[in-house]
Amino acid sequence: MPGFEILDPTVEPRRQPLTYVPRPDSLKGKRIGLVENTKFNSDKLLQKIGDILKQEYGAAEARMWRKHNSSVPAHQEIIDDAKRTVDVVVAGIGD
Amino acid sequence: MTARITSQRYAVEDFPQALELCYSRGWTDGLPVVPPTEPAVRAMLDAVGLEPDAQIAFITNRQAAITAEKVAINAVMAGCLPAHMPVVVAAVEGIADPRWGYHGPATSTGSAAVLMIVNGPIAKRLDFNSGDNLFAPGWRSNATTGRAVRLVMRNIIGTLPGRLDRGTFGHPGRYTYVMAENEAESPWTPLHVERGCRPEDSAVTVMAALAPHQFYNQLSSTAAGVLTTLCDAMRYPGQIGQPNYCVVLAGEHMRTIAADGWSKADIRKFIFEHTTNTIAHFKRTGRLPGAVKPEDETATRPLVLTPDDILVVAAGGRAGSFSCYIPGWASRTASEAVTVVIKERRA
Repeated sequence: MPGFEILDPTVEPRRQPLTYVPRPDSLKGKRIGLVENTKFNSDKLLQKIGDILKQEYGAAEARMWRKHNSSVPAHQEIIDDAKRTVDVVVAGIGD
Repeated sequence: MTARITSQRYAVEDFPQALELCYSRGWTDGLPVVPPTEPAVRAMLDAVGLEPDAQIAFITNRQAAITAEKVAINAVMAGCLPAHMPVVVAAVEGIADPRWGYHGPATSTGSAAVLMIVNGPIAKRLDFNSGDNLFAPGWRSNATTGRAVRLVMRNIIGTLPGRLDRGTFGHPGRYTYVMAENEAESPWTPLHVERGCRPEDSAVTVMAALAPHQFYNQLSSTAAGVLTTLCDAMRYPGQIGQPNYCVVLAGEHMRTIAADGWSKADIRKFIFEHTTNTIAHFKRTGRLPGAVKPEDETATRPLVLTPDDILVVAAGGRAGSFSCYIPGWASRTASEAVTVVIKERRA
């Protein structure tokens, strides 16, 4: 049987550069955003984290947003609101 | 069709070497594949009249552009005939639809598979099974079109077990999970017409689905009797808040229910009303958090948000007092069933 060629079925994903904003040296006086993903107890877990950040690290306040569901990124309103009102964001899963 | 096929080419000496190359590159679902040669891929593209670089869909969170060329390669590998290509293309459009929400059902520990329900003239023409042994091996159309979609997920979108596919159990439907509705014998409006297509259209409905659950009722001679058994079986879900259920009614049950004059809308309404649970039940069984309060004993929660979230399909063997239900994955906000018209475009 003569040789033949086969075709590659795969696709290389497009690379996206990802950059992080600089981390603050301290959380003292910072406003904390918490992004809750709707899973059971994720709100409680994040609330607890927010409390710890205030009590033990001197954060000024903590407020929470809720995503539409756990499978999607935070929606634009959350991102816009977070940009305006907080300094750092903690996102988490409650499983 | 003139545009070039641009995928990387690999020279092989013979079929066994081609097969081992596919295995070694991680391109298969574990079963042997058909080596994707250019003539075979061209025939797939010709069947839908699409240029190789035509974009069928884009999966945003994977930054994956799904081109006709790559779908055709994977369809060849799955064992499809060119005539199957329009079905595969439509199903890929369906799982890329934002309502289906690709990332969740493809990735979740919750282990959904892509249930494909084929309706319309194409089902009969291509011999999609809608009868005996509905989900069993033996029908090329059912076996290869669903397999092609899974290979697209694997090879184009990067849905690889252990990496971007984290299913706890997965299920056998991830090899293929395809049925046609038995429109020839069904007394009811076909699924695709209920979902907005014309009767003469061919269509595929994709649903992020868990495994089928069979139930048995050999005693009832009424619609309410048969469906009471169904509701008793399906009302205790594996998780709560599923977006859709698919109820597949086979020959004997189909005839019993139809003999009472019930439409699919009647069936959906009955199921919706008879599958509610109390909040207390969900709390006691660890499905909802918190202590049971007195009002939880009477407060109820339906299985799905609306009766229309229950897809009723006539399919399965003529004999046997069995039907089945198929739970959807996750929640309505995360994924919902999508119906796509199959476009048989000829070049």
